[in-house]
Amino acid sequence: MTGKEISIIHPRPSSIVAALYTLRDLNVDVAILHGPPGCSFKHARLLEEDGIHVVTTALDENGFVFGGHDKLVQLINKSVELFSPKIIGVVGTCASMIIGEEMHEAVLEANPDVPVIEVEVHAGYHNNTKGVIFALESALDAGIIDRKEFERQEYLLAKATEVEKKFGAASREYLAPSRGDIKYTVAKRVIELLKEGKRGITIMNAKKETGYMFADITLAVNEVAASLGKKDSIVNMANLDENVGLPRVRKHAEYIMRDLKAHGIEIHEIIGGMDEYPIAGEKVSELIKEKYSDYDFAVITGVPHAIPMENIEGMELISVTNGPRQVLPLKEIGHEYVLVEIDLHPKTLGVSNIVESEFGATLREIAKETRKEA
Amino acid sequence: MKKQKIIAIYGKGGIGKSSTASNVAAACAEAGKKVMIIGCDPKSDSSITLLGGKRIPTILDLLREGIEVTEEDMVFEGYAGVKCIEAGGPEPGIGCAGRGIIVAVQKLKSVSAELIKEQDLIIYDVPGDIVCGGFVAPIRKGYVNEAYVLTSGEYMPLYAANNICKGLTKINMPLSGVICNSRNASREEEIVTKFSEEIGSQLMAFIPKSQIVQDCERNGYSVMEKAPDSDIADVYRRLGKAIMENEKKVMADSLTDERLREMTK
Repeated sequence: MTGKEISIIHPRPSSIVAALYTLRDLNVDVAILHGPPGCSFKHARLLEEDGIHVVTTALDENGFVFGGHDKLVQLINKSVELFSPKIIGVVGTCASMIIGEEMHEAVLEANPDVPVIEVEVHAGYHNNTKGVIFALESALDAGIIDRKEFERQEYLLAKATEVEKKFGAASREYLAPSRGDIKYTVAKRVIELLKEGKRGITIMNAKKETGYMFADITLAVNEVAASLGKKDSIVNMANLDENVGLPRVRKHAEYIMRDLKAHGIEIHEIIGGMDEYPIAGEKVSELIKEKYSDYDFAVITGVPHAIPMENIEGMELISVTNGPRQVLPLKEIGHEYVLVEIDLHPKTLGVSNIVESEFGATLREIAKETRKEA
Repeated sequence: MKKQKIIAIYGKGGIGKSSTASNVAAACAEAGKKVMIIGCDPKSDSSITLLGGKRIPTILDLLREGIEVTEEDMVFEGYAGVKCIEAGGPEPGIGCAGRGIIVAVQKLKSVSAELIKEQDLIIYDVPGDIVCGGFVAPIRKGYVNEAYVLTSGEYMPLYAANNICKGLTKINMPLSGVICNSRNASREEEIVTKFSEEIGSQLMAFIPKSQIVQDCERNGYSVMEKAPDSDIADVYRRLGKAIMENEKKVMADSLTDERLREMTK
């Protein structure tokens, strides 16, 4: 028996959007949304910036009443002609699923000469990870991933859902968005701690491409520590294992690691892959217990609520998230400072280098002023 | 302001809703009323017997072609001047017929608002199986001001009628009456009268089973047009008059299944 789902009334990304991002991670070249023209517009546009073509059958009233089979067939053919894709994704929407569209028949009729991942999904699932699972199941059927990877992903998604329900945006009926603490104040505090000779840990536990910006905070903390002659006060942890995850996700880890190395930053502890943010917390917890329990502060970026409090309770905690609804839950579990990198996601799509963060830039600027004063 | 009767006739599939609707429409039109019939069944056969067996283009057919629909395209004059309209719908198993009803009725209202206002009686002939919200859209959207239930005295049609009453009450729509379309079941009039009373409503008419109705339909006509002197034609005339004069509306108290069984034994 599972507990009754709480009814969450704040807006959250839908399962359709989750399926689209998964298709992107599976290196699909074109994703066809079978539904009304405006469905998932914002994320579809962002995904275009990340190199995937997104098109729509643009179902109208006639489409709702008479079905959109012919439109879908035509659009599959047109997508082949326009983009010469190696893999195609076809994604359902609320409208097409409610009227019972049979997308598989359209795929059979169009019969493109490349694999097609069909995702029968709508936005009416409590957990948007359903969209990911449907996309992965279809990718498994199409032979694009193997069963081992599917099971691994399924496990990670279950864990991600668990984390969100416990401490994340799905943890309560309503969470007001917040911009968190002032970056200037928190940056000054980090510098103060370093100047006092306190020892700190940077923990980057980032979800996939968001790591391009969160890594900048790791970078900035290290740069600032070095400029204050406190380079050795910092230990770095990051979920940058290049050997796990879907191909695109491994590439993100590789690129970020390359950039960090280029700046002379050493990642002392690899805590997992870039899709392992829901489970990396356990590894962090063990490592701290074994080796770093006497550290004074931690700068945790990405998905800070996935790090168990048990072994970090005694440290001063500075968290950086890209979720404005994550501020309150993090404050409640005991993080002293919570910062939000607004609009992080759009800035990390379509890139292959570390992207400057607001907090990183603030830290650097204040460190510069501090040096001048000295 | 003119007092308009805008009615919907509900009942189990195949119970004779279209036949009753078209004959009542013809009877009231003969009596000098301005009458419109709006077929909401995707089968598009509500008005066929008022048009000499001819099918008319449906609103949805016209919309599908993407043309700017005018009143002349969708409203056809049938027997005794009855204005005939068919909403139409997708092929079975494709798209959404319920949404189709909503779209078609909205189109009709936007294009023919004046014509609608002129009518004394508008009959919505709705499909028997209310499988989604679109099928009750004429009521939900406030287009209909009276609902009638058609049934025979057999258990299954009564069971469906009882469920419809439950549904109407649930959406706060009062019931204006019950019509019995006989299938020659035993004690039929007595059973349907009893049913009507127990749900708090009234029996509007008992329509005896008649070969004349079927023969006229086969030839594509209403009884009023092809057998105006028959007894059954008089039954429809009386029913039309009763509907036009009816003021009674009740929130129906649906019966338990046990009570229905007991009643039809």
